[in-house]
Amino acid sequence: MEQSAPSALTQIVFLAPAAAALLAWLLGRVRRALAEVFALVGSVAALAAAIGIAARVLRGEILTGWGPELRVDALSALLVLLITGVGLPATLFSIRYMRHRRLLDPDGADVTDKRLPGFYGLYLLFLATMLWGCVTNNIIMLYVAVEATTIASGLLVAFYWDRRSLEAGYKYLMLLTVGITFALFASVLLYAAATPYLPGVNAMLISELRGVASLIPRSVAIFVVAFLVVGFGTKAGIAPFHPWLPDAHAEAPSPVSALLSGVMIKMAAYALARTITIFFPVYDALTVFVVVLGAFTMLLGGVMSLVQDDLKRLLAYSSVSQMGYVIMGLGFGTYLGVYGSLFHLLHHAAAKSLLFLSVGAVIYATSARSMSQLGGLGRRMPVTAVCFFIGAFAISGLPPFSGFMSKLTIFLAGAQAGMWAAVGVGIFTSLLTLIAVLRAGQAVFWGTPRSGDLSLESVREAPASLWLAMGALAGVCLLLGVYPQIAYPLLHKATLSIAGLVGY
Amino acid sequence: MAVPYNTELIETLSMILIITSVAAVESQNLKRAAAAYCLQALLICGLILAFAAGNSALYVWALTALITKAILTPWFLLRYIAKTGEQEVPAIVGFGPSVVIASVLLVSFYKLTHTYVHVLAPTPEAIAGVFRTNLAVALTVFVLGLYAILSRRDAIKTVIGLCLLENAVHLSLVSLAPDMRETALIGIATEVVVTVYLLLYVIAGIHEKVGTTDTYELAELHW
Repeated sequence: MEQSAPSALTQIVFLAPAAAALLAWLLGRVRRALAEVFALVGSVAALAAAIGIAARVLRGEILTGWGPELRVDALSALLVLLITGVGLPATLFSIRYMRHRRLLDPDGADVTDKRLPGFYGLYLLFLATMLWGCVTNNIIMLYVAVEATTIASGLLVAFYWDRRSLEAGYKYLMLLTVGITFALFASVLLYAAATPYLPGVNAMLISELRGVASLIPRSVAIFVVAFLVVGFGTKAGIAPFHPWLPDAHAEAPSPVSALLSGVMIKMAAYALARTITIFFPVYDALTVFVVVLGAFTMLLGGVMSLVQDDLKRLLAYSSVSQMGYVIMGLGFGTYLGVYGSLFHLLHHAAAKSLLFLSVGAVIYATSARSMSQLGGLGRRMPVTAVCFFIGAFAISGLPPFSGFMSKLTIFLAGAQAGMWAAVGVGIFTSLLTLIAVLRAGQAVFWGTPRSGDLSLESVREAPASLWLAMGALAGVCLLLGVYPQIAYPLLHKATLSIAGLVGY
Repeated sequence: MAVPYNTELIETLSMILIITSVAAVESQNLKRAAAAYCLQALLICGLILAFAAGNSALYVWALTALITKAILTPWFLLRYIAKTGEQEVPAIVGFGPSVVIASVLLVSFYKLTHTYVHVLAPTPEAIAGVFRTNLAVALTVFVLGLYAILSRRDAIKTVIGLCLLENAVHLSLVSLAPDMRETALIGIATEVVVTVYLLLYVIAGIHEKVGTTDTYELAELHW
């Protein structure tokens, strides 16, 4: 039914932002506005290519590029669409946000101004590397791409170059590199174990590896899966490998946080799903292990998000928690479980980047991000407040927003699989999330400022380009909640590319 | 087919190589630790050359290792050590106990991997003869690198630990995936160098803002 077709789109989708990165960095030094222009052009080009890819994949094609090296099926198309779809609003948001003097470092705005071309260069490179990881079919290159996203984003995390962001940057680079080395080890083992059965380069192709998973010696398979979980799991923020996440996601500039929490950890979850699910049909017990991992992650993230005062750290821990749902759904291993997992991936990308951008708008207006400093902003910043609450309701799974549908699907899948304990943990964590985000919303937008430094009179609503970015994402959260069928064709095909293995 | 590997040479180089990791971990002078690391990288080049007797593609690997691991990485390390000072921040464990721990790790892990490496061996060739020694050595260096990252407070020292880890991976590829294409290998090696450079760059920033490379001072962010 599905046919492979070579397409240049598979290359354009990541080479376009990569080229824009180079231009933004080089020409941005001549004029700063050029860096911003190329950032927008690169993001728009990537999104256009992604839409083109999705349209062709929906017609039943599997796109390839550079021979068998690049391969875009529905799952890849979903991720590509998600990365570029969050990428463009985040880029739009960063134009005004990164120009804002008060946020820049104490060395003086001029110094940071000079670093802006570098910022956009790395930002676009970060987008490009994530996209590359989602279209490659080579397991070694998948590792290379995932590590490249760390390299590209390391200096973005440390961008403000103060004590906190440097600490976050150091931990980010160190922990992720050590973690991902395990994934390299696993990839090499998998490749080596497959070489006797697959000729030459084919042993590196993920699409070919599936067929030989059952031939790989059991002991080797166990090591491969364990190392993949440590490696890509670290990057995906799965507990107990998550400690880098709240630091990095909180200290990075807000649009970068939106990308880190909104899509980067999704891309790692994609890498994990792509690789470990090839063993699902062979090893049943693996699915239970993945469900337990997901439940632990969601509960830990949920509890930790309750005790945060810093808004961005709260959101970051909530991301850990939401990744738990994604992993759990994947672990059910059924069609419905994987469908729910991918739906949740899509929902969380929109909702969490919306929340990070809304908090970014609050920071833009007040330079503060702790609940203990803020308060009473609702009347001064109505648009931001509405956007924040849409994101908050979506993430806690209230109808009619996107999170309700995705969580419901995961819970149904759990019930169908008879894993009631997992469903219980999921519902309980939903409640924790609801408490955490509503408490935050109440603290920020109601009452009066809790710190004397902040006077409400001086607070202005964020500029229109920031609303536009937030509004687009809020629209997606609402659309997916009210009319979830819109995502069905792509999600269905993407689900089949994983769950199809398990006999559905 | 029997390839005339110089078993004695390979085993000698492997043993010296393990000792260089202990030296890199335990030396409290960072310059000397970097030098030990550089020596290890050169030994890896030598080892890969010895293995190249059976597979001429490995000459490219040896060259890649020489450029990225024996030249660029030590150069970056020394440059940044000159900025941040060559005396290491004392580790979590004292020098004496640490040497004991490292030696015990070394001996027991080498024994363990050399005996049980078949559970991890993807193919029979990967653990035949000298390839078995190679894999055991690589895994031992890997564990010593992890030990360095976990037990050292000095940020630069943790980077040296990371370098050991990556050396181990590079070395293990000789046994595990000798047919891997050069492009993939060069990609992996290049990324490691870039990561190390970025880490040192950030650590230099920390040194500038905080005045130390002690990771225990980095406690602004927790929970």
